[in-house]
Amino acid sequence: MTTLPRVTGEAVARIEARDKVTGAASYAADHPLDGLTHAWPVTATVARGDITAVDDSEALRDPAVLAVLTHANAPRLADAGDPMVAVLRSPHVAHHGQIVALAVAETLEAARAAAGAVRVTYDEQPHDVVLTADRPGLYTPDEVNAGHPADRRRGDFDAAYAASEITVDAVYEVTPLHNHPMEPHAATAVWDGDALTVFDSNQGSTVVRSTLAALFEVDEADVRVVSEHVGGGFGSKGTPRPHVALAALAAKAVGRPVRLALPRNRIAAVTGHRAPTIQRVRLGADADGHIDALAHETVTQTSTLTEFVEQASVSSRMMYASPHSLTTHRVARLDVPSPSWMRAPGECPGMFALESAMDELASACGLDPVELRIRNEPPVEPDSGRPFSSRHLVDCLREGARRFGWHDRDPRPAVGRDGPLLIGSGVAASTYPVWVFPSHAEAYAGSDGRYEVRVNATDIGTGARTVLTQIAADALGVPLDLVRVSIGRGDLPAGSVAGGSSGTASWGWPVHKACTDLRQRVSDAGGHVPDGGLFVRADTEQEAGGGTEYSRHAFGAQFAEVQVDTVTGEVRVRRMLGVFAAGHILNPRTARSQFIGGMTMGLGMALTEGSFLDPEFGDFTERDLASYHVAACADVPEIDVHWIDEDDPHLNPMGSKGIGEIGIVGAAAALANAVHHATGMRVRRLPIHPDTILLGL
Amino acid sequence: MDFLRPASWEEALAAKAEHPTAVPIAGGTDVMVEINFDHRRPDVLLDLNRIGELHDWEVGEDTVRLGASVSYTRIIENLRSVLPGLATASHTVASPQIRNRGGVGGNLGCASPAGDAHPALLASGCEVEVASVRGTRMIPIDEFYVGVKRNALAPDELIRAIHLPRADGPQQFSKVGTRNAMVIAVCAFGIALHPSTRTVRTGIGSAAPTPIRAKAAEEFLAAALEEGGFWDNGKIIPPAVARQFAELVSGAANPIDDVRGSASYRRHALGVMARRTLGWTWDEYRGNERSARCA
Amino acid sequence: MDGTSEVGLRINGKPFSRVIDNRTTLLDLLREQAGVTGPKKGCDHGQCGACTVLLDGDRRVNACLLLAVSLDGADVTTVEGLADGDRLHPVQQAFVDHDGFQCGFCTPGQICSAVAAIAEARAGWPSVVTPPDTPPGPVEPTAAEIRERMSGNLCRCGAYVNIVAAVREVAR
Repeated sequence: MTTLPRVTGEAVARIEARDKVTGAASYAADHPLDGLTHAWPVTATVARGDITAVDDSEALRDPAVLAVLTHANAPRLADAGDPMVAVLRSPHVAHHGQIVALAVAETLEAARAAAGAVRVTYDEQPHDVVLTADRPGLYTPDEVNAGHPADRRRGDFDAAYAASEITVDAVYEVTPLHNHPMEPHAATAVWDGDALTVFDSNQGSTVVRSTLAALFEVDEADVRVVSEHVGGGFGSKGTPRPHVALAALAAKAVGRPVRLALPRNRIAAVTGHRAPTIQRVRLGADADGHIDALAHETVTQTSTLTEFVEQASVSSRMMYASPHSLTTHRVARLDVPSPSWMRAPGECPGMFALESAMDELASACGLDPVELRIRNEPPVEPDSGRPFSSRHLVDCLREGARRFGWHDRDPRPAVGRDGPLLIGSGVAASTYPVWVFPSHAEAYAGSDGRYEVRVNATDIGTGARTVLTQIAADALGVPLDLVRVSIGRGDLPAGSVAGGSSGTASWGWPVHKACTDLRQRVSDAGGHVPDGGLFVRADTEQEAGGGTEYSRHAFGAQFAEVQVDTVTGEVRVRRMLGVFAAGHILNPRTARSQFIGGMTMGLGMALTEGSFLDPEFGDFTERDLASYHVAACADVPEIDVHWIDEDDPHLNPMGSKGIGEIGIVGAAAALANAVHHATGMRVRRLPIHPDTILLGL
Repeated sequence: MDFLRPASWEEALAAKAEHPTAVPIAGGTDVMVEINFDHRRPDVLLDLNRIGELHDWEVGEDTVRLGASVSYTRIIENLRSVLPGLATASHTVASPQIRNRGGVGGNLGCASPAGDAHPALLASGCEVEVASVRGTRMIPIDEFYVGVKRNALAPDELIRAIHLPRADGPQQFSKVGTRNAMVIAVCAFGIALHPSTRTVRTGIGSAAPTPIRAKAAEEFLAAALEEGGFWDNGKIIPPAVARQFAELVSGAANPIDDVRGSASYRRHALGVMARRTLGWTWDEYRGNERSARCA
Repeated sequence: MDGTSEVGLRINGKPFSRVIDNRTTLLDLLREQAGVTGPKKGCDHGQCGACTVLLDGDRRVNACLLLAVSLDGADVTTVEGLADGDRLHPVQQAFVDHDGFQCGFCTPGQICSAVAAIAEARAGWPSVVTPPDTPPGPVEPTAAEIRERMSGNLCRCGAYVNIVAAVREVAR
């Protein structure tokens, strides 16, 4: 028996690559259906109030218009426990931009015109949308996102801080940010009796399926959700969003297939966003930079519909040795669109604050920022005392510094000049926790020597389909091309959501388990698969469902060089470098793309992306891609990515940590720190606008 | 929505006379955005794409007659030596895709203060040829923008062409924004030196309700250049003069605070762009003069 | 005048004619009527480039900003029309080789845009980053040129670094 070389760890090209470059890959709004009709939303023009009347007479004049659905006439949805999908149930308007009606018509053009012709009148009530750090109504939530406690106290922060030789006390602000995946939230729905089929854009169709079953009070087995290709999500498709409930509702109401693709400028209000944060960080250290006291206090907002609390202070609980620590979250319930997950919720804005403060501390101590971080490396997780399963932050910092040429720079701020440009460099650490959720998988060996693996994973661009095939092939001990992995359908064995950078671990584990088992079965059968094949099922309810005695996180170090135009205040990035330690990297090609993609989004967060809640009308002023500036090709320089391979036995059979989110964590701080090095100016509010730079220079 | 597709300019004018609310559409990049945004719901669209002459240009002795639908791409490709200011501005319009379709007529028709062509048009001192069944008239660009997104066209008139003086000296365009590309200008500035008349013209975008000129700055600079004999001696413009010019440009603006930038930043940025583009154009003028003397 | 018109065009070499709603954009005609769903609707406002197609040869345009009725007689090429049978267009192959995409939604537009961008640079069209003293003739496809020329196509996954590498390989 020959042993095949392992394919995990190989830079295998994406299995669906050909489909994606030829236009053959079908997304949620690409599936042709006979008799398809189209829907267009009508959204609230007040930030708080109650609908008093809906006049659809003008809209219905066009015979191509089939229905204008509102809370008053739509089939009533059951309560599925998720306010985000409780659509057209109530006359109450909880925020501007909430979908209050849906026009359905034979054509897209007619639906859109009908939606524009619907007149909604409101009993408008005063709204409250402005977050400040000292506003009334801030409260301590029971817990924050990802199940963390809102507050943690260790030691005596106040006393230790007061006694510290060197202190930093600064407030950092991140505006609301929008996920804006390139594929708008879309669903195509069709009923056959009580059986529902939806082609939906989401990050996990297992949950979409159970939610739809609950909303429409039908059997889960009768709900088919197809999500083979998803055009990005970044958290905004992590749970079912209104579009899928509306499409299914409309299809039921008109008795025809309905497609709803949310217009781009309606997405920010109804699919979630990163909540703004105001974060005060205080660091107390001795003259050598050893931190004794660390406080990270976050103020943020949620909506009146849901409680979602961006857990920005939690990475301060595990990043650095800090004998005395205070980490808190306060939240205000405002009349704003509901916030939700956006790439690395918590860690991303939180590490902007903490890693900026670390840079400030390095300046205050006259220490190299890389060295400062190395000096504060904790032996165990400070918050819990648990050992780290693996932690190679210091190696990332050192390797990154070497590759970047960090130590060749003049550490003094505002001395690097190239004509009217100031040049500077910055560093920041990255981290992201290891999440793994129970999932199920099936593996089948055919008598023709081929294998099929089924798991309801979702490939939102991460390369999940490819990596799972690699994991399966290795576990089966067969070449890659003999294995076919089916993903992206709600009727496949239940898979967890493509979120929390958990996908590869969560889906790969049962795949590995099933395939290992199947390989044994084949071996037991003498290496010959009998007619009818062999079939196994596996799940990780036990393995992935419990806790762990280790603190498990990926780490990284990011370096950035920027140029600041002293006459216009414009900041441009010259280069970025990231070095990460995230367990075993299973596919260097797709992993590299994930890291670079995260860093690119971090660049946008630092310099181009920003959103503003207008106090007058209570909604975001940046609602489309012309005003909300996702970084364009010309904004993004060469980004260099490397990693340190970790052999961590406390993770999963593949030894992998998640890689989808860590790239965005720390990127903005590295850039802001570079702006400080370039100009001597500390920018504590993102995005870094030319205005701010010029006022400060 | 009705869609009229005149095959000739005369048919187009007749259609516009019959349907004064018809919205003319050529490349579509300005009008379609407004329609797709639901900002406009015209009952009638007047498609000008079949009218070939709108895509033509003629380079004459003194002026360039630019058809209203000539795409920005064609301007960059073919007219950058005779209309350098407009060509430079054309480079930064939205995206390559939009530059392939959009033309100056659309920017003028919509008259958005952020349109990228306006500063260059103002600086050039062009005239807009508009027509109706009643006849043709030329509107000086200075009189064209009459209010926020409003222009001097009568309801039955269509923009046929823009008559731009051939550049008789260096021209520049500059804009600032947060993104490197596909950016709506936070503010924009155009300048044209006119050595033949010893004048300077400017244009400012995104910093007032309409695109405007900085007339006081132009007059100051022209006087200063004249007084110092700069047009003839080709000396470097003294920093104090450049500074004063920049301040007057800043002062001409009437910007607002909005999400793209504060009013004070816009004023500052305009001053910076004014000083920079003056430096670039004057360097080029001096270089040209020198090489002309050497030749 | 009942709000409809007859339009005939060629889509990836095949004739397509139909009476359509005057309000129909080229993008919606392709996707909803012609069954050509490669071009994607990312924004419907010309702000993202996901709908980029090639018009009458290699002129790239945003299909969402064109009314189909104004395109009678036009020749439209979408991402579906680039490969030569089973053989991928060199730009498509380079996107595969360089992992020039993740979710793939912007990819059809990126690829059409890249095909045109390469042709434009070869034809000597300058861009805003082309040095003014560049002699006439093909423009050197530097990274800066490609970044500028590809900036009409947004990618939220952040694949720009790989896209630039892919385009550069073909443009050389």
